[in-house]
Amino acid sequence: MPSDHHKPPRQIGGELVIPILAVGFTIYFFSTIWNSPWTAQVSTFMVGGILLLVCAIFFVRAGIWLVRGEGTLGVGNLFTMDDIRTGRIGLLLTTIAYVMFIDTLGFTLMTFLFLAVSMLILAKGKNAGFITMVSAAMALTGWAVFIWAFDTRFPRGWFETTMKAVLANG
Amino acid sequence: MDSSTASILVEVFFETIGYWYIIIPTILLGLIVGGIPGFSAANTIIILMPLTLALDLQSGLVFMISLYCAARMGAGIPAILVNIPGTAGAAATPLDGYPMAKQGKGQQALAISFVASCIGGLLTTIIALATMPILARVGFYMHSVEMIVVMLFGISLIASIAAQDMVKGLIAGFLGLMIGSIGTDVVYATPRGTFGILELYDGVPLIPALVGLFAVSEAFVIIEKRVIVTHEGEPKAPNWSDTFEGVNIALKRWVHIVWTSIIGLVIGVIPGAGASIASFVAYQQSRSFSETPELYGTGHPEGLIAPEAANNGVTSGTLVPLLVLGIPGGATAAIMLVVMQFHGVSFGPSLFEDQPKVGYGMFMAMAVSYVIMFLTILPLSRYMSRVTTIPTIYLAPMIIAFTLVGGFVPREYMFDMYLALGFGVLGYIARRTGYHVAAILIGVILGPLLEKYFLWSLKKSDGDIMVLFSSTLGNILWVAFAMSIILPIVLGMRRKRKLEVPAE
Repeated sequence: MPSDHHKPPRQIGGELVIPILAVGFTIYFFSTIWNSPWTAQVSTFMVGGILLLVCAIFFVRAGIWLVRGEGTLGVGNLFTMDDIRTGRIGLLLTTIAYVMFIDTLGFTLMTFLFLAVSMLILAKGKNAGFITMVSAAMALTGWAVFIWAFDTRFPRGWFETTMKAVLANG
Repeated sequence: MDSSTASILVEVFFETIGYWYIIIPTILLGLIVGGIPGFSAANTIIILMPLTLALDLQSGLVFMISLYCAARMGAGIPAILVNIPGTAGAAATPLDGYPMAKQGKGQQALAISFVASCIGGLLTTIIALATMPILARVGFYMHSVEMIVVMLFGISLIASIAAQDMVKGLIAGFLGLMIGSIGTDVVYATPRGTFGILELYDGVPLIPALVGLFAVSEAFVIIEKRVIVTHEGEPKAPNWSDTFEGVNIALKRWVHIVWTSIIGLVIGVIPGAGASIASFVAYQQSRSFSETPELYGTGHPEGLIAPEAANNGVTSGTLVPLLVLGIPGGATAAIMLVVMQFHGVSFGPSLFEDQPKVGYGMFMAMAVSYVIMFLTILPLSRYMSRVTTIPTIYLAPMIIAFTLVGGFVPREYMFDMYLALGFGVLGYIARRTGYHVAAILIGVILGPLLEKYFLWSLKKSDGDIMVLFSSTLGNILWVAFAMSIILPIVLGMRRKRKLEVPAE
């Protein structure tokens, strides 16, 4: 029988994030319906109660693993230094910036900037010319389809306003 | 069916084929908008409403129906290739479609999906046409009590998904149900768990949840690899043989296509129910009665056929209450109602006497769309599957950019983009730590519906819980539900015993 002595210990710290979030959210949820009519309470108390119970079972199970030395409170399954090397953290930061600034800069310009910067981060700076071209093509296609053709209410900025004026006068 | 009806049907069929110049471009448009989360058929028809109203009635109907069918099918394409369902109706598709794509069987998976969708859609259109008066009554018999059981059929899929680690699966599923409870309650509109955010008073919007849990989190995971397909599953050059193999796999399972599409049809005729419920219920039922339930979730063709046949069965189902009773079965049907009323069409049984070409024409447009769709899209599967070979350094940012703005589209709140990002982080944590994002999504989608029907039942019975067992149809459904839970366990034990016998 193969021995599993060399198996790395389970990273329970990472696995505990969702149950902890679930418990915190359920307690907050209960606090918002404590004085509400029964219609607002009945099913959420039922669902939330089961969720708390299942989380409690998981906490007990995690405790047993810790005591037996089968796991650690590490979060290696969630975050490692590799996340910086592979560009995942960089991609997360550009994604946050995309959501924050799209309303100000508009869909087309922000999409171009996001695609170009994210791809450059993930490609570690290689193929800059190709990436710039792909990003520009994608952003312009998005503008042509969603804003020019379909007239959706995507966030508008400098580029969209200029193009609208150009198309109206041209 | 009398001879005059038959002659009308034949006449309408040939007339509809004459609209090929509308149907083909609309199919391509539908495949695109169906594939981008947020751009459902309903949204696109709304956006193109001026065009639809400018067309004559017949052309407008052909356009709307083709778009509806194609968008339904298009939603499954990114679900299979990049694990991103275009709509909530395709949320069960990646459970087995995406593992197939990762194994380098993307082309086969697409072919299976197209065959299941087209046969399912075509077959249910014919059944709906033949049994319209009976099907139209289904909506009358399905009250809140019966709907609770239907929801439970779908929600019990959480337990199936959770089979590998029951505790984690249940945590994910019940967390989804709690998130789905955010918003005001359906009786007194008391705000609950909204963090004081006004945009959450209507509940958690589905598209940002779908975009975040599936697309954004997937984009952060796939960058670990050079391309989506695994090294062993490195695809060959585009060829016809994989497409034909996929068609063959699907056709061999024609019985499966038939009964899962009928599940879709029956759920489709119930106003308020929809493709997401149908696909989850069909997947759960397919798994429950399968000879090989352990293969589900690993890239099993039946796990792909069930949701795709069911969600296309819904399309014809939603037309039945619309045409016979004037009650739209879903958002797209509601928009069709508006367009048809603009053209002076009156609904109800008299529609088929006063304007039979309109009534039958809608079903015929659906049937013709499915036939043309099958012929036009199947050859494309060999090229579509190449998406899985695009380097992830280009693919991941594109997925994030276009799906995040897709999250913005349905309600046009900037908040929804932040919400999608939040769900993306939750989905990423879930994926990395072994919690199933599909279980969370099932909870978010079906939780509010289950609560709504539960509260309505209790309200009607003054809080008497026994109301859940007060109707004959409801009790039949309860028995069927219990059977669908117990039978697979019994069958599984018998199979296990059979396998053990030769060893002894």
